[in-house]
Amino acid sequence: MDLAVHDMKLHKGRFIATVMGVGLLFTIVLAMNGLYRGNIHEGLAVIKATNPDLWVVERQRGGPFNETSTMPEAYHYSVKAIPGVAQASPFIFYTVERQVGGQSRHFSIIGYDVFDGLGGPQKIHAGRSIARAHYEMVAHDKLGVKLGDQVPLGLHTYTVVGLTREAISPDGEALVYLSLPDAQEVLFQRDNEEIRNQRARLSRSLNKSLSPQAAEKVLPGVQPDTHIINAILVKLRPGADRAAVSRHIESWLYFSTFTTAEETQLMLKGRLAGMTKQLLLFRTLLLIVSVVIISLVIYTFTMEKIRSIAVMKLIGAPNLTIVRLVMEQSMLLTLGAFLFGFLLIHNTYHLFPKTLVLLSGDDFVTFMVALFGGILASVLGLWQALKTQPAMALGG
Amino acid sequence: MEVLNIAGLSKIFGSGRLEVRALEDINLSVAGGDLVALLGPSGSGKTTMLLCASLILEPTRGKIVFDGETIHQQNGWAGVDIRRIRREKMGFIFQSHNLIPFLTARQNVLFPLSLVGIKGEAAEARVKELLEYMEISERADYLPALLSGGEQQRVAIARALANNPRLILADEPTASLDTGRGKRVMELLKKIAKENQSAVIVVTHDVRMIEGFDSVYHLKDGRLNHNH
Repeated sequence: MDLAVHDMKLHKGRFIATVMGVGLLFTIVLAMNGLYRGNIHEGLAVIKATNPDLWVVERQRGGPFNETSTMPEAYHYSVKAIPGVAQASPFIFYTVERQVGGQSRHFSIIGYDVFDGLGGPQKIHAGRSIARAHYEMVAHDKLGVKLGDQVPLGLHTYTVVGLTREAISPDGEALVYLSLPDAQEVLFQRDNEEIRNQRARLSRSLNKSLSPQAAEKVLPGVQPDTHIINAILVKLRPGADRAAVSRHIESWLYFSTFTTAEETQLMLKGRLAGMTKQLLLFRTLLLIVSVVIISLVIYTFTMEKIRSIAVMKLIGAPNLTIVRLVMEQSMLLTLGAFLFGFLLIHNTYHLFPKTLVLLSGDDFVTFMVALFGGILASVLGLWQALKTQPAMALGG
Repeated sequence: MEVLNIAGLSKIFGSGRLEVRALEDINLSVAGGDLVALLGPSGSGKTTMLLCASLILEPTRGKIVFDGETIHQQNGWAGVDIRRIRREKMGFIFQSHNLIPFLTARQNVLFPLSLVGIKGEAAEARVKELLEYMEISERADYLPALLSGGEQQRVAIARALANNPRLILADEPTASLDTGRGKRVMELLKKIAKENQSAVIVVTHDVRMIEGFDSVYHLKDGRLNHNH
């Protein structure tokens, strides 16, 4: 005779309410699992999609995603000249917030050598890659643009020639691919007022040591350089010694180099680590809260049945019958709540603003932790039930 | 045949100046078919006596032999599985019925059968027989909360009878019933004792309910006096 189920039937309203309440907590735990995986997925998506043999960045910097890295564009020619290097492409990456389709949108721009350079989109599901040096763009679906749309960025308007859904920025925002000069122009474009002020400031400085005429001649040469990139992407020749190429670049060009695996680790241990720890802490706290709630509910359920438990003991019910009653209720509550949470998150994850990556492995581990929590939660009720004296059944 | 034999039983709580002698040198013998009343005022030791007889409370001294098996020797339990004896050979009837509230009348009677491994058709047939015997079969699928006090007590008696117990212990079984219903319950217990050859010990403080009992014992200050 399944006593737990009969008891649940009598209190089905309270049981369902508790299952839904604890289930919502499990929904959040599972959502945070997905958020954690999504955070890593998004954080590494560009690195994985770009996937060069070597990332060359500013010396002592963990760039270009985990930390800022700036270097002169022309150095990619020096890198290309190193023995063992098949291809070296300039790469620029930055985040902007601009008006797109009448809405303010936050997105990241990648500038790359569109003529056979590395770093461009690998898979385009609609349209084509950028084929001209200027005014064309490939955008991620998340930007919400269509093929042929005209998107104004800075002084120029760019035509959407391709759509991709392959990579996403480490912030989870849309990616926009531009040619390198276009990306540099969008990044360094200053308004006219700022250019006038800058020229006036430089002119005043030069006038201290030069005649006005000489200063006017020198002025164009001391304007800020906009031929700046964040990284050089390197493809090695077949059979080339990666370590030797890295040593050469680090010793002779004074840059740092990372493989894609090292670049991934930089992100995991750097920019993504804080969020990962935060999510782990939240998940742990929520699981503890869930177990405490289940414990209290089971304890209350048990206390309400304490006289019945005394009667059962008096008429000779073995402890196993009592343990089964309490434990089964705890398990039904835990499993019901987990199932509720599981179904809810798997049917609503696409509605979350951030990407949730739900993995069956994570679901399983959470389920096992929940199961263990359910067993732990029943301990308080079990302790109360087992110490109940059958004599309690006697008397009025 | 003798079902319960208690010899020289004493129960002392506490020690030294705080010592309370709840039961003192109790001797009692009950045979199958006997209907025994245990009377006494509050604090006389009735509940302690019931707890010792139902093998819940260990006596300080004394011997208990149940159904030919020594359960308690002079100074300790004899190592018998007491819960097994309670579920296989004893039936309990309580003052406040104590039906399990989340089980129907039928399931309440079925529960002790499930504890001794009687299941399926055999169990269902026994439950049906008992509920018909107690004239409550039409209310078999009702939860206790939907039954009257008298109906609940009849279900409780059916539950106590489920395993054909050798001994039925009834603790104030009429206390929560009106006089008419109380008398009917007592009549039923007499009938059960005679028909089933079970020993029935009824603890009560209501002398009006003990007409026709085979033996009446009075407990006073922990000592048992046999009246008739």
